[in-house]
Amino acid sequence: MSNLLKYMLENTSIIMDYASTHFSLIFSAVAISLLLWIPLGILISRNERLASIVLGIANTIFCIPSLALFSVFVTIPFLGLGRPSALLALVLYAMMPMVINVYQGIKVVDKSVIEAAKGMGMSSKRILREIQLPLAAPVMFAGIRITVVMATGIAAIAAYIGERNLGRLITEGLTRYHVEMILSGAILIALIAILFDTVLGAVEKMLVPKGLKVSRSK
Amino acid sequence: MIELHDVTKIYAGQTVPAVKNLTLKIKEGETCVFVGPSGCGKSTILRMINRMIEQTSGTILINNKDIRETDPDRLRMGIGYVIQQIGLLPHRTIAENISIVPRLYGWDKERIRKRVDELLELMGLDPDETRAKYPAQLSGGQMQRVGVARAMAADPPIMLMDEPFGAVDPIVRGHLQDEFLKLQREMKKTICFVTHDINEAIKMGDTIAIFEKGQLVQHGTPQEILSHPKNEFVSTFIGTDRVVKMLTLFQVRNITDMNPCIVRENEMANIRQKMDDQQADVCVLMNESTKPCGLITRDDLEKAGDLSPEKIMKIACSKKDAFINADLLLNDALSLMLEWDCDYLGVLDGSQLIGVVSLEDIRECVCRKEGE
Repeated sequence: MSNLLKYMLENTSIIMDYASTHFSLIFSAVAISLLLWIPLGILISRNERLASIVLGIANTIFCIPSLALFSVFVTIPFLGLGRPSALLALVLYAMMPMVINVYQGIKVVDKSVIEAAKGMGMSSKRILREIQLPLAAPVMFAGIRITVVMATGIAAIAAYIGERNLGRLITEGLTRYHVEMILSGAILIALIAILFDTVLGAVEKMLVPKGLKVSRSK
Repeated sequence: MIELHDVTKIYAGQTVPAVKNLTLKIKEGETCVFVGPSGCGKSTILRMINRMIEQTSGTILINNKDIRETDPDRLRMGIGYVIQQIGLLPHRTIAENISIVPRLYGWDKERIRKRVDELLELMGLDPDETRAKYPAQLSGGQMQRVGVARAMAADPPIMLMDEPFGAVDPIVRGHLQDEFLKLQREMKKTICFVTHDINEAIKMGDTIAIFEKGQLVQHGTPQEILSHPKNEFVSTFIGTDRVVKMLTLFQVRNITDMNPCIVRENEMANIRQKMDDQQADVCVLMNESTKPCGLITRDDLEKAGDLSPEKIMKIACSKKDAFINADLLLNDALSLMLEWDCDYLGVLDGSQLIGVVSLEDIRECVCRKEGE
């Protein structure tokens, strides 16, 4: 234990360095995913045929082991070793939790609410903005939460394809059989993932509209 | 005014039309109830009127204008729409729910606020208590009320109501129906009302349209339909108590004999004489404070033989509850007659006696209406 602390203190600057690369990969992957997958989720909630195709693709990608996907991307000339391959893989993995949650979130909104709103003359844009999205927000956010936590873990594996992040402590530690190195990498990654999950879980609860939290007794 | 001309709807992938060659006219200010077994197409018709469903062929006119000429959202804003599931926005307060259509019209805040309070009051809900609540905090009956208030928010001349009182228990439903009838008497909106309940149709409808398998079988006033069911299907749908249902169309007031024979407590000795003079078969007994306290019929007198005031009093008082409010319906009167085993009832307006009604009067009324 003291060895572990000693190692971490002696290598603070490199660990901080790795951590910042780790965060930057997670953030860029999540940012791109938000821009791509939320609109796609909304789009497929309005077209069942498209939905089954897109959800099928997302599912298939999700099934591919991350190490395999990283390795394949490395062989593609434009991508190669490093950031582009890692980013692309993370964004593709995020497709499944994000698209499906946006789609589900919108789909589970009570049909009669939509029927009544449409019958009163609300346009479909307005229904999306004022009814479907606010009611779907907690489910959609749950998808973002899963994506962030998952990206934290998968990003570590990208160390194998040249990403200089916390995963590197593990990969290098393994080759050198440096126990403190392995442990500090593993512990830090796990802590970050748990921290993200806790914070985002709290945000998710705040997103539940007030009208859904109340009951007659109150 | 709503007119449907030769309207047919065939859903995609089906060969049997859901609605077939329907021609129907609903006059301004009239409540037309679409009734029929499930799957008869009544909801489909309703939903075609506000273009929630597009007809396959035929034309639908509202105030002589083809509805296809108006943008669907614009058209719907001008038509109140109430559905059985109500569909209140769960994340919006009651005030926000009611103000949806006024907001679409771009009313200012003050006008909307006033209208919301006005509507809540009209629907028998306390504005201060209800305004800021969410739908989940209301009872089923209150939600239905809010649903109706929301549909009336921008005072649309036409309302489409698809089993609007279907999701509440029978007692609350009865209240809601009565309240809505009262409102409608003042509002005079043109209403299409869907139900599968023939009793609700008879109660709510100025006219009733009965459907079977997508086709209009009969359209007429409740009285026309009850007295002359067009075919076997309509008779079966109405039920074997057809004539008793007809009784619900008339108030006791309509057939009350306004010149009843009245005997006060101090005139009891002359009761026979008084009844003979007025050729009455029944007599209402009044106490000193001119409150009716019982009924006595000619038969009772004959059976009694001895006509001491005490005996008369006793017989009369055994029917001290054989009175009915003039606003109630003939079926209520019939029920009371059976309950008190008496062919006559005193008719009250408040606590004031205004006449008597007899089983014979009810029978005559029904026979006359049957003949019409």
